[in-house]
Amino acid sequence: MAAELGGLAWPARVQIWDAALAAVRGYFRDQGLREVSTPVRVPAVAVEPFIDPIAAPPGLLATSPELAMKRLLVRGSGPIFQIAHVFRRAEIGERHSEEFHLVEWYRLGADLDPLLADVEALVARVFAATGSNGHVPKTWQRARFLEVVTATCGAALRGDEDPGQLLAALPPALADEVARAADMSAGAEPRARTLLAWTAFFTAWSDMFFETWLKGHDGTHLVDFPAPLAALAITDPGRPWLARRAECHVGGLEIANGYVELRDAEEQRRRFAAVNELRRVHGAPALPIDEDFLAELPGLPPCAGIALGLDRLITLAACRTRLSDVSLALAGG
Amino acid sequence: MDVSELRKNAKVQLDGHPYVVVEFLFVKPGKGQGLYKCKLKNMITGAVLDRTWRSGEKFDPANVESRKMQYLFKDQNGYTFMDNESYEQVALAEEIVSDDSAFLLDQISVDVLFYNDRPVGVTLPSHIVMTITECEPGVKGDTATNATKSASVETGHKIQVPLFIREGDKVKIDTRTGAYVERINT
Repeated sequence: MAAELGGLAWPARVQIWDAALAAVRGYFRDQGLREVSTPVRVPAVAVEPFIDPIAAPPGLLATSPELAMKRLLVRGSGPIFQIAHVFRRAEIGERHSEEFHLVEWYRLGADLDPLLADVEALVARVFAATGSNGHVPKTWQRARFLEVVTATCGAALRGDEDPGQLLAALPPALADEVARAADMSAGAEPRARTLLAWTAFFTAWSDMFFETWLKGHDGTHLVDFPAPLAALAITDPGRPWLARRAECHVGGLEIANGYVELRDAEEQRRRFAAVNELRRVHGAPALPIDEDFLAELPGLPPCAGIALGLDRLITLAACRTRLSDVSLALAGG
Repeated sequence: MDVSELRKNAKVQLDGHPYVVVEFLFVKPGKGQGLYKCKLKNMITGAVLDRTWRSGEKFDPANVESRKMQYLFKDQNGYTFMDNESYEQVALAEEIVSDDSAFLLDQISVDVLFYNDRPVGVTLPSHIVMTITECEPGVKGDTATNATKSASVETGHKIQVPLFIREGDKVKIDTRTGAYVERINT
């Protein structure tokens, strides 16, 4: 981990953002992707368990450009990328900010592989362009989610366990967390209960085991997520208990999250409904369903998409640990 | 209050005690639930504990308030202080003032902490100037060694001072450690 160096001076901040933004654009132009810019204020956002939008009447500030970019893909945009301003309420910390930049891109007919290769190339390119002294992983490794779970906490899981089965398979520290979640969701639909149990497990396992594991595994793509944590990804056709979703980790930070994109509108609607039920159990308001998006989803060409946190990548390139050390946001802004 | 209101220096009521957040970390694994990891200090006993809240949970803010007050006198009711703004007088029991009584100069201004409108603690200025009322004679020129001697200040409290200090000297004292800092030239 980088030492406590404090914030960059203003000219250095401007310089590093300029170099990083140019590097991102240069990379995608070389790759033949078109740049788009979708609205920041939107009628609805992807319904996620723990991502809360900021209201901007009559709409919401985008938490990600995902739904808008997919609707452009439906309209024949071809492969596209965007450097988007996104907003997530009450995410404030050294590695979080309520407003940040997502680099999001989609490739057609693609699997996750080319996107993960993009992430590796993009990290190297941004580090080179910013003259970073930071450590870039020479080789990245793939790690299967459930194999890392077994290696870290001993639990052997397939990915489609119901709350009871999940509970029985976990060591006590993690089982306590899942049991608490299962108690909260006693009256909910089975699908929402399974989502809640797996989400509670993921949060607790990441906090207690995975963060420590990552320290010895810099440059990791976590792949083959359990199906209940598929979010907007397809499940694996040959192994429906797993999802075609990946998370990319470097320097102890999660910097990207990608999917082979789900194109089944009815399945997507069921997932959004389960998430809204989970939100209700947690006392969070249900989020509006983007009916226009669901109506157009069957027209989405086969594609894969991924989003990368640009503020985090620049923080790493600057050998800093806090987003505020490199941010161009002015105090009080 | 919603846990998203938690910050460093927030005052939290927990198990019937007031705590202040001394360290604060927000973490959120992937698309998981946000965790608010806090190190909390009991505002009365100073005891420290770790506590993690999850996003969506609630916490009770502690009803604590710090008031600037002036020390007036000590009698059988304890130590009496006066609010600098309202002139209200409050007597604090000896066990609340405890070791800080050593530095209670007449009319010294302190912060008195109130919890549920009850005084529960005193915070002195970090450094104060006191006068040496009694010590062995000063040894002239001996400023280079670390040797010390015992000396009394006007509250009757005894501190360790360098050998060159004389009766009547004014010295700066760190109230948090009780240690001599320097002689004040007058």
